[in-house]
Amino acid sequence: MSKLYILMDDHGHMVMNTTFREQFRNALTGGGEHQSFGVPSSSVDRHRPENVVAFLDNHATRQWESILHYMVGTASMQTPKKAVRDLLVRSGLMSLRLDTNELKITNKGFQFLLQDVNTQVWAFLLQYLDYAEVLQMDLVEVLNFFFMLGSLELGQDYSVEQLTDTQKQVVEDLANFGLLYRRKRSSRRYYPTRLATTLTSGNSALLGRHPVPSAVNLVAGEDIATEQGFIILETNYKLYAYTDSPLQIAVLNLFCDLKSRFANMVCGMITRDSIKEALTNGITAEQIISYLNSHAHPQMKKSMPLLPLTVIDQIRLWEMERNRLQASEGHLYEQFRCQADYDNVLRYAQTLGVVLWSNARKCMFVVTEVGHQQVRAFIQKRIAQRKNGATNSSTPTWQTQRNNM
Amino acid sequence: MVKVIKGVLLQCDPTVKQVILNLDERDHFIIEDLDETHVFVEASCVEKVKKSLEDLLEENTYKFESQPPNNKD
Repeated sequence: MSKLYILMDDHGHMVMNTTFREQFRNALTGGGEHQSFGVPSSSVDRHRPENVVAFLDNHATRQWESILHYMVGTASMQTPKKAVRDLLVRSGLMSLRLDTNELKITNKGFQFLLQDVNTQVWAFLLQYLDYAEVLQMDLVEVLNFFFMLGSLELGQDYSVEQLTDTQKQVVEDLANFGLLYRRKRSSRRYYPTRLATTLTSGNSALLGRHPVPSAVNLVAGEDIATEQGFIILETNYKLYAYTDSPLQIAVLNLFCDLKSRFANMVCGMITRDSIKEALTNGITAEQIISYLNSHAHPQMKKSMPLLPLTVIDQIRLWEMERNRLQASEGHLYEQFRCQADYDNVLRYAQTLGVVLWSNARKCMFVVTEVGHQQVRAFIQKRIAQRKNGATNSSTPTWQTQRNNM
Repeated sequence: MVKVIKGVLLQCDPTVKQVILNLDERDHFIIEDLDETHVFVEASCVEKVKKSLEDLLEENTYKFESQPPNNKD
């Protein structure tokens, strides 16, 4: 602290810097002109919803869930706003399929779905920062606002008037994600929802633990289900999932052929086709297995190993089946004059680490696209050397014949 | 004299290699047959080879469930 000139030595007494002391006190008491804890709205909100906390929870869940639903491709849900879709694509959670012009979930997106809500929100905010840079928004202002978010109080309305234009834009966007609530676009106030206020608390399942009207609160339902586990997988590839959350069912539908649906459970089958479809979407076998593992029903935990080995192995085999052929672009070097030349060039290529394949008997090797330039330069240099030093006729002439280059 | 050819190195298991050799009889895309598990081919044909390989493997897979084929894929 002395190094930062916060504390100063004054004749044997430690003295705190005056400006720092004042600001420090302000920060602790929330006084002063600054707005690091948000500015509560001064006027009374005439449209303040009754039972504001429950209302906000509801709103947050609905917005956030609609994004997740959109990701897994539930048809009935409304499409989120363009800003949200852009962010999904930019963050690589979804990718645009050229043939259908629709957004499709990616490998990363699947991973994203498996995380708890708080991690998801954080991931989203980080992506938002990236995105903000592209939109040429002032990062400092955006960050400032994010830090403020964490210290806002649930159920309190805050005024937008003190915010900068950039921050007003942020408010708008976060309202789309369900982190904030505004009654309408022109509203002068905003309410933070539970998604925003728990950002810094590290208490991830808060959304689930709080008593809320549960019929609509699917994310809460998901959290509870996640804690308990709900999937039973049998050795005959049949899968029973005790859940009624459309979101969970949609996630399952990504890699499982669902057969029938009951009030509190769905019943499906893991087939070669269903896994293949998941694999083409970029979901890996490992992700599917870890998902099944972490959501296994308590009943399953009695058996060791947790999941039937046959099914797990088969899923892995199905994945390997897809990768039976590996193609890598390269250049084939062949027809060396003598073994020594071959050894020499190969050794050089090996030190570069660009050799894909080599065979001493055939005197051939293949280098990568990247390494080709350097290896060619090396050979040309050697040719030049040979030519300069070609005093006797027995020196082999080096020449590169370029084919299709 | 060193000869340099641009192309694509395919790495596969011996079974798939035989399939590729078979395909080659029709289209002649193999530049050099390197060894049991490697073939060097023309870059333009890779996608086609992959496609026909997949089709062939698909033909030889038996589903353990007898259901009417769905038109999904």
